[in-house]
Amino acid sequence: MSAILDFPVRPEARPYIEAFDHRAVTAEPDWLVRDRRRGLSRFAELGFPNRKSESWRYLDLQPLEKRPLIPAHAAPEADEAGLRERLAGLSLPERARRLVLVDGRFAPGLSIMEPRPGLWLGSMAQALRERPDLVRPAIEQAAADAAAHPFAALNTAFFADGFVLEVAPGIDIERPIEIVHLASGATSASLHTRSLVVLGAGSRANLLEIYAGPTANGPAYWRNDIVALRVGEGAELNRAVLVEESAEALHLAQTDIMLRAGARFAGFALLLRGRRLRHEANVAIDGEGAQCRLDGAYLVTGSDETNIVTEIDHRVAGGHSSELIKGVAADRAHGAFQGRIIVREHAQKTDAHQLSRNLIIGERAVIDTKPELEIYADDVKCSHGASVGDLDEAALFYLRARGISAEEARRMLIDGFLREAVETVEDLATRTHLLRHLARRLADLEG
Amino acid sequence: MLEIKNLHARLEDGREILKGIDLSVGDGEVHAIMGPNGSGKSTLAAVLAGRDGYEVTEGSVIYRGRDLLDTPADERAREGLFLAFQYPVEIPGVNNTYFLRAAVNAQRRHRGEPELDAGQFLRLVRAKLKLLDIGDDLLQRSVNVGFSGGEKKRNEIFQMAMLEPRLAILDETDSGLDIDALRVVARGVNELRAPDRSIVMITHYQRLLQYVEPDHVHVLQEGRIVESGDKSLAADLERRGYGAFGEVPEAAEPA
Repeated sequence: MSAILDFPVRPEARPYIEAFDHRAVTAEPDWLVRDRRRGLSRFAELGFPNRKSESWRYLDLQPLEKRPLIPAHAAPEADEAGLRERLAGLSLPERARRLVLVDGRFAPGLSIMEPRPGLWLGSMAQALRERPDLVRPAIEQAAADAAAHPFAALNTAFFADGFVLEVAPGIDIERPIEIVHLASGATSASLHTRSLVVLGAGSRANLLEIYAGPTANGPAYWRNDIVALRVGEGAELNRAVLVEESAEALHLAQTDIMLRAGARFAGFALLLRGRRLRHEANVAIDGEGAQCRLDGAYLVTGSDETNIVTEIDHRVAGGHSSELIKGVAADRAHGAFQGRIIVREHAQKTDAHQLSRNLIIGERAVIDTKPELEIYADDVKCSHGASVGDLDEAALFYLRARGISAEEARRMLIDGFLREAVETVEDLATRTHLLRHLARRLADLEG
Repeated sequence: MLEIKNLHARLEDGREILKGIDLSVGDGEVHAIMGPNGSGKSTLAAVLAGRDGYEVTEGSVIYRGRDLLDTPADERAREGLFLAFQYPVEIPGVNNTYFLRAAVNAQRRHRGEPELDAGQFLRLVRAKLKLLDIGDDLLQRSVNVGFSGGEKKRNEIFQMAMLEPRLAILDETDSGLDIDALRVVARGVNELRAPDRSIVMITHYQRLLQYVEPDHVHVLQEGRIVESGDKSLAADLERRGYGAFGEVPEAAEPA
């Protein structure tokens, strides 16, 4: 690894460089080994993003700088009964295709694959062996894009596994496919996963991704997750994300979405638990007439932090995008939404709308909301709006005047507020599931 | 049922609105409190229901033997006090049926009765819906969202029918209703008259009183009850206007 020593190395990167040298070496193709090394040197140079970096200014990374979380080695001995129990509480009650990753690695014993023609579903490790044609271009592309993203560079260096889903052209997978990213809580480590979804032209799929840790307060872990979604011509992808990490977790997730002509993508994220959560989604509208929805809801309490960072890049004409983000912050918590919309010069007839609505409960919670519109075309319809308010006193009194306790009334109003965003989720089973998790989270909210 | 003595209340800005109200409501009685705008009618309703933003500076309110003013708003409701709002609040995202079931079950828990499950609750709803000519679709919507003025008022009386209160305070329930809606609402209220249930109707006009006959009528003026009588007082008022009590009458509200 002498190559990286030629660069000035940021001090916070040192433990990770050391860990890279000590990781268990598995047989990997040369191109991947090269990418990993490049990623590591890039990270060594960049170090952690600091708060001067616009899209990171609302997240406190100091604890991670003080105490490095080295990538997890091969899956530690996990308590399978415990994992099964946790899974039962997280998964869709209906039987679904389900791929489970435990501590960032595929857990075949907990997964239900149900193979069928036109569908390739498996772990990233398996795809690297069997489908390099599919994953190599995506990984190489991401490695190039990651030049300015330290955590993406670190992910390239370290990702151990992930999931890969390919749907052949014209195939319609109706029932939701569930991906569960489960942290066992057995060790304090970082979990780097890299995943890829490719939808062939005219195909359709529903995806539910759940990121969770143990419910009991376990050791801190750091999830550094990157997913690339490629939606082919006229294809339709609905993806819902539920984040219910354990109380001390740092969750950084980046999703890069590429939409071809006439593609439709609906992304939704429900962020409910974790010490620090950052959900980043970058959409490239790369084909004419593509449509994109990015909706989200979060509830942040205690002294936790939650960030939603989105970028929608209208590169070609006739694209539609809409965003509805609803946030609730209570106690001393901090929530933030940063939404960037770019409309390039040639992206005429673009229709882009963004709405951020927020509730602050109590006097010490903080919410930041920041739209950023960069419009270079002249024949477009773009709008954005943001609001931050308190719980409606009149509504609280109305509920109390019907005998509902103040505590339950507050819960009902928060649920009602966030529900509007959750109800954008089209698939009924997924929507019902998310609403149930929201209700459960609200039930343990202190009055 | 309700014993109000020398009740004084002011707003947070210090303006005194109620200046010594005395009122006694017996079991099963229907009282009408009439008065011009700004006389303190809605403040009286708000203070009785426990809304924030009012300070009681003097006097007492005893409801079924206990001090009402010391009781939080939600507990008053669970103890059988019901306020039909003049302006029912729209609550987006909170389903009407879900809300109503939470309210009914909060009251049942308070009384030590078992909660109603979804099926039992639905049967109760169906029985009461007929009374107020309310369609099923209203139940599927968010609380009061997208309801017409008349639907909101009917929904208030429907909630009253579901909660079966001991004391109901109807704050301007007749305002904004056309004659058909007024009849439906009045029929609902009349159905709910019972020997162990008292009703206080607060109103500007005599209209509702033609359909729901009160046992007692009171005139509220500048924060005090200035005259009390039987139902003939309401007709009297209609003829003479509030001006007879030292105030210029307002133009009649179009029906």
